[in-house]
Amino acid sequence: MKPAIHVASLRKTFTARDGSTRTVLKNLDLDVGAGEFLCILGPSGCGKSTLLNVLAGLDKVYDGTADVSGGRIGYLFQEPRLLPWLTAEGNLDFALSSCRVPTKRWEQLKSRYLAMTGLSDYRNYYPHQISGGMAQRLALVRALCVEPGILLMDEPFSGLDEITARRIRTDLLTIWEETRKTIVFVTHNAYEACFLADRILVMMGGAFEQEMRVPIPRPRSYDDSAVFELSRDVIRAFGDGMGRPTPAGRWPGNVAHGWSATSTATLPPA
Amino acid sequence: MLKVISLLAAVIFWGLLSLTLPPDIFPGPLETVKALWGEIAGGRVGTDLVMTMLRVVGGLVLALLLGVPVGVLMGLNRRAEAVLDVWVMIGLTVPSLCYAIMAFMWFGLNEGAAIVAIAVTAAPSITINIWEGVKNVDTKLVAMARVFEAPRSTIVRRVLMPQIYPYVMASARFGLGIIWKITVLVELIGRPNGVGFKLFYWYQLADMRQVLAWTLLFTIIMLLIELAILKPIERRIFAWRPEVAV
Ligand SMILES: Nc1ncnc2c1ncn2[C@@H]1O[C@H](COP(=O)(O)OP(=O)(O)O)[C@@H](O)[C@H]1O
Ligand SMILES: [Mg+2]
Repeated sequence: MKPAIHVASLRKTFTARDGSTRTVLKNLDLDVGAGEFLCILGPSGCGKSTLLNVLAGLDKVYDGTADVSGGRIGYLFQEPRLLPWLTAEGNLDFALSSCRVPTKRWEQLKSRYLAMTGLSDYRNYYPHQISGGMAQRLALVRALCVEPGILLMDEPFSGLDEITARRIRTDLLTIWEETRKTIVFVTHNAYEACFLADRILVMMGGAFEQEMRVPIPRPRSYDDSAVFELSRDVIRAFGDGMGRPTPAGRWPGNVAHGWSATSTATLPPA
Repeated sequence: MLKVISLLAAVIFWGLLSLTLPPDIFPGPLETVKALWGEIAGGRVGTDLVMTMLRVVGGLVLALLLGVPVGVLMGLNRRAEAVLDVWVMIGLTVPSLCYAIMAFMWFGLNEGAAIVAIAVTAAPSITINIWEGVKNVDTKLVAMARVFEAPRSTIVRRVLMPQIYPYVMASARFGLGIIWKITVLVELIGRPNGVGFKLFYWYQLADMRQVLAWTLLFTIIMLLIELAILKPIERRIFAWRPEVAV
């Protein structure tokens, strides 16, 4: 099957105003299958947002291939990015009209996702009148209600308190299991990645270092000890959590968890 | 409430202070109001007030037409910013009296020249406000709109403009503050009517009662415009903003 996202030899170099250059993405190869939930796990500054911006078409200056097929793109940013002068519903309408979703479908889409995230009663609230967690949930509703085939998510829950983040993660999995969108989810939180993903790619310094499939069966429970153990192994491998690169040999349970260096084995999409 | 008390205190203070000089030179509030009432009852304020208002409004509109586009350009384009920022500073520095004299000398003693002089005086500070506003535009919201496939015109209208409105509003009010003052000055040197003309006329006759009466009239009208028109508009436009507890 044709992958939903196909990236080959992707390089991105920023040029500073003084002429100095800095290569942030170094020859990335990536295929994401339709309906796959991929997590990209990496320390801050490794190029995760830069990659998503390329995939979303926000950044068009790069070398190599970055093809995205399989429908409209939804992008959930680290911050909600709501328009503060519009109500919750106004923000949804803005997205729906921008994407030219037929007006007669709006109500059904809005009420479905608002209900799913528990925001049905907040349609007429302005962004400053709802909490940060609710604002991010609303941003999720906004991304979902335009019915994207592909959802890009950039550390969307890292600014939330743990209890809220946990609930939204569970909501997200429920929605994904219902709709089977292709999701590329960027995070620096190993537990989150292990809970959510089919496959985890570890990114460091602008390159993919390791790849693994998450063998935990679905539906998953947030407190599953398998998630905990897996994430502990990942964190240990993650250069002591300091973002220092780890020699491939030191990766844990290479066999047990299906770890493999991306250079030797790029797994085909599921 | 505090506003009312402070106004009352000021009136009392004015009354007391005026006792130190003869009433011909420094009339108190009562005499001033009496003189003002005489003018109003005698039907002698209408024309001058209307003419001044028209010049103020005309000057403000022209100042916005000049100042807003330049400010937007400077906010968007680094090269334009580098070239124009010196000119904005120069525009701010030149005394408004110079603009008035130049306008009257070059364009003649007419309404057009008066309005040009008024607008040119206020435009630089409007430009600075808008420039600041455009530079502060949240580009993250623009990226968000682009992800939702919003066409350029929609982004300008629904994402950029609402962010710049507060600065346009602020610059209009700020500009108005400048314009009240320059209008009176322009009328004094080059117009046959208006509040400024009247002030100068009474000054030449050394009638301080009338001078203060007209000053009072002008101040009250401006305050009314501020409170009855500008504040409500602002409250309406920015209803979505959180209330700031003061
Ligand atoms: N517009 C830019 N100009 C120059 N450097 C940038 C720009 N955007 C990001 N970078 C640099 O690229 C690197 C990767 O950034 P980013 O993709 O935001 O990392 P992450 O999302 O993984 O935290 C960082 O070192 C950052 O400083
Ligand atoms: Mg980032």
